[in-house]
Amino acid sequence: MTQTGMTAELQDVLNFVSKQSPLNELPSASAHYFVNHSEMVYLTAHNQADALQGEEKYLYLVRTGIFDLVDVSGEVITRLSTGDYFGYPSLLTGEEIQSHLEVQSPGLILMLPQISFDFLRREYKVFEQHFVKAHKKRLLSSHYQERSKGWSERKISKLMTKSAVVIEPSATIVEAAKVMQVEGVSSVMITENERLKGVVTDRDLRNRVLASELNPEMPVSSIMTPEPKFIFENNRVFSALHLMLKHNIHHLPVLNEERVPLGMVTSTDLLRLQNSDPVQLIGQLYKASSTQELKLLAKEIPVLLRSFSNTVEDISFVGTLLSGLTDALMSRLTELFAKQHGKAPCSFSWICFGSQAREEQTLDSDQDNGLIFCNDIKPAERAYFASLGEFVTSHLVECGIRACPGNIMASNEHCRGTVDEWTARFHNWMTAPTPQAMLNCKIFFDRRYICGDQSLYQDLNVQLGEIGQQELFFAAMATDISTNSVPIGLFQQFKLQRSKDKSKYLDLKTRGVAIINDLVRIYALKCGISKANTQARLKALKDHMQLSKRDIYNLQDCWRFLTQLRLRSQIEQHQLPANCINPETLSSMERHQLKEAFHLIKQAQQACVFKFARGSL
Amino acid sequence: MFLSLPEEVYNTMRWKLPWFFKHGKSQDLWLDTELVVVDLELTGLDAAEHEVVSVAWVMIKRGKIVLAESRYMLNRSVQHLSQSPVFHGIDETQLEQGHDIEVIMSELAKALEGRVLVCHNILLDWSFIKKAFLEMGIVTRPTQMLDTLKIEKSRLLRQHQAVIQDQLRLPVCRARYGLPNYQNHNALSDALATAELLLAQVNHFDSEKHIKLSALL
Repeated sequence: MTQTGMTAELQDVLNFVSKQSPLNELPSASAHYFVNHSEMVYLTAHNQADALQGEEKYLYLVRTGIFDLVDVSGEVITRLSTGDYFGYPSLLTGEEIQSHLEVQSPGLILMLPQISFDFLRREYKVFEQHFVKAHKKRLLSSHYQERSKGWSERKISKLMTKSAVVIEPSATIVEAAKVMQVEGVSSVMITENERLKGVVTDRDLRNRVLASELNPEMPVSSIMTPEPKFIFENNRVFSALHLMLKHNIHHLPVLNEERVPLGMVTSTDLLRLQNSDPVQLIGQLYKASSTQELKLLAKEIPVLLRSFSNTVEDISFVGTLLSGLTDALMSRLTELFAKQHGKAPCSFSWICFGSQAREEQTLDSDQDNGLIFCNDIKPAERAYFASLGEFVTSHLVECGIRACPGNIMASNEHCRGTVDEWTARFHNWMTAPTPQAMLNCKIFFDRRYICGDQSLYQDLNVQLGEIGQQELFFAAMATDISTNSVPIGLFQQFKLQRSKDKSKYLDLKTRGVAIINDLVRIYALKCGISKANTQARLKALKDHMQLSKRDIYNLQDCWRFLTQLRLRSQIEQHQLPANCINPETLSSMERHQLKEAFHLIKQAQQACVFKFARGSL
Repeated sequence: MFLSLPEEVYNTMRWKLPWFFKHGKSQDLWLDTELVVVDLELTGLDAAEHEVVSVAWVMIKRGKIVLAESRYMLNRSVQHLSQSPVFHGIDETQLEQGHDIEVIMSELAKALEGRVLVCHNILLDWSFIKKAFLEMGIVTRPTQMLDTLKIEKSRLLRQHQAVIQDQLRLPVCRARYGLPNYQNHNALSDALATAELLLAQVNHFDSEKHIKLSALL
C-alpha cells in the first residue's frame, strides 16, 4: 500500500484521519491532503499555551490524549479526546482563540494550517458545512444557560417576574381587592407568618362575593381557596403547566424551599409557551372526549419523544415527560370510564409503581399501577373498581404502554385494595422477606399518586411509616441488591454478555441504573423519604446522615451518565436488546467514564451491604 | 555480531564517542533545533555484511512533526534480500520501483545537513549510514545524534527501575506514554513512531521551552 518516492504516505496517520468525520464522507484525496499538510505535536500542560497561541492559526485534531477546552470565564466548554477537532471557530471567524486547553492526559495533536483548512473548505462543501455547523453548535452550547434551554425545562423562578402580593387573613375583602388593584394583579396570596394559607382571585371576588351578595367587610379568609396547589421555585415550568392543566387552575403560587411565598405564576404567563408540542399534547389528553381520540393522541407520543430528546440537554427530563403523559392518559381514562359507567361508589385513588413512579419511564416501559379505595367499601362496590382497572389498563395497552408481564396492574385484584389491605400487603413483605417479597418491594416501594382522592394515598403512606424500621427487612434488601453485580471484571475489563447472534453487549439498565435505583431506594426508605424519583430521593438524602455528600454526588452523576447512554441506545438502536450497548461503539473517554461509573456503583453496593446487612452475606 | 549486543555497546560508548558528540551544538534549545528521525530496514544487523533495504525519515521543526517532509525510499540496488523479507515484507518486485542507493543516501545527506539525527537504537542505523556515506564519499555529518532508546533507558534508570532489554523496544516505550499501536510496519511508520516517542519523551522532562539538546544526550 505504501507509496514510495517523494510523497511518502504515513499509512497509520492516513487511516486515522480518513476515518474522522467529515473526511470519511469525502473522496480519499481529502484525507491525503489533510495528512500531507499537517504537522504533529505532543501537547502537555507545559507547552499547550505555546502550541496554541502562535502567529499562525490551525485546525487541531486530537489523535491521542484527553483535553478540556476551557473558555475565558474558566468554564469547561467541552472535553476533547481522540477524533475531536478544535480551533475551527477562530479559523472561521478570523478572531483570536479565546479558549485554552487544560491537559487531562497529554497526547498527539494533528495541526492543519489555516491555508490548507481554507483549501479543503473551498474544495469540499461537506467539509465547510461540517465546521460551520459545529461552530454554531458550540456557540449555542456556550450560551446554553441563557438562551437555548428548552422553555419547559426552565425553572419557574425565571418565569416569575412580580414579587409576591400578599395580605393577612384578617384583612377585609375590600382591602384585598384594593391591593390587587394597586398591584395590578388578578390574584392575591393570603399569608400568615410567611406561610401560605390561601389564594383569592378575580373570579372568587365575582363568584363568592358579588354574585353571592356577601358583605365585603368580611375577612378575606372567608372567601379564599384554602390550602391551594403550589409549586416550588426550582421546579420546571413543565411541572407548573402540568399541575394547572390537571386541576384546571389559572393561578399557581410559587414558594421557595422554606415554603415562603415568592410570587404567582398565571396561565397567561404560560400562554405564550403553550404552542409547544408536549404541553399541547398533555392539554389535549386531558380534554380528549373518547378513548378513540386518546388512542390517536397517544400515537404521537413516540414521535414527539424522538424529536424532543434531541433538543433537551438534561436527558432525565424525557422520563419525566413520558410519565407525565402516562399520568394524563390514566386520569383521562378514569374520567371517561366514570362518564360511561357512573361515578365511583366510594372514594379511590390511582397509584403507580416502578418506572412510572420514578419518572424514568421509557418507550419500552410496561405498566405498573394499582387502585386504593377507602376502608369502608362495601363488598358489592368492589366490582366497579374491577371493571375500572380492566378498562384503564387495557386502554393503556392500546395507547402503546405495554401490559406488565408480572401482572402488576389494577386489573389484577392483588393490585386493588383498601388502605388497610395495602398496608397488610406491605407488612407481609417486610416481615417475611422471601425473594418474591423482595422483588415486590423493589416495585411497590417506588410509588406515586396519580389521581383520585389524594388523602387515601397519604393515609397509606402514614400507615406504612408506622410499620417501623425492620432490621431484618433492610438486611434482606441490602443482600438482595448485592446479588446483582456490575459488569466489571477483576482487571477493570467489561464483562460482556452475548446475544444470540454473538454480538457482545452491556446491559445498562439491569446492571447499572437498576442497581443505583435499588441503592437509593433502601437509603430513602431508611430515612422515610416519600419521593419516588431517584434524583429527587438523592437530593432529599442530602439532609440525612445516611450517605455522605460526596457519595450522593457520585451516585447522581453515575445515574445521569448511565441514563443518558441508555436513552441514546434506545434512540440509535444498534440491533441489541433494549437498554444495551456495545462498548466498542463508545469513544475511549466514554468507555473510561463507564468503567468509572460501574466502579463507583460497586463501591456503593459494598458500603450498603456493610451498613444494612453488617457484611453478613 | 558486535552490534546485536547494544547493552555492551553502551557501556563502551564513552571512549568510542565520535567527534560530533563533543563539538556539537548541545547548548542549543530543543525548540530551535531541526531533527531528522531516521529508520532503516536492513537485510541483517552487520553493516559489514548486510545491506540497506529502505530508508525513511521524518522531520521535526520547532517541536512539530512536519508530516509533508517525510520520505520513504526503497533501495533497488539490493544484492541479497535472503531471509530478510520475513521481517520487513518487502520483495523484489517492490524494490524495482525504488531508487539507487546513491540517490537515497545523497537525499538523506541533504536532509541531515545542519540537523540532528534521531533513531531508536542509533548505533545500528548509524553504522549502516556511516558506511554508505564513506563508500560514496559523502562528507555530511549530522550536528548531533539522539537515541530515543538511550533516553528511555536513562529515564527508567533514574526512576530506579531495573531495565530489561525488552522494555526498550519501540512499541513498549510508546505504550509507556500512551501512544497508539501502529498497524503497519515499515521504515516510515517506525520513523514516525520514533519521532512521536521523542516528542513525548521531551515533553515529559519539563516545559519543552527550556530544554536544551544536551539534556537529551
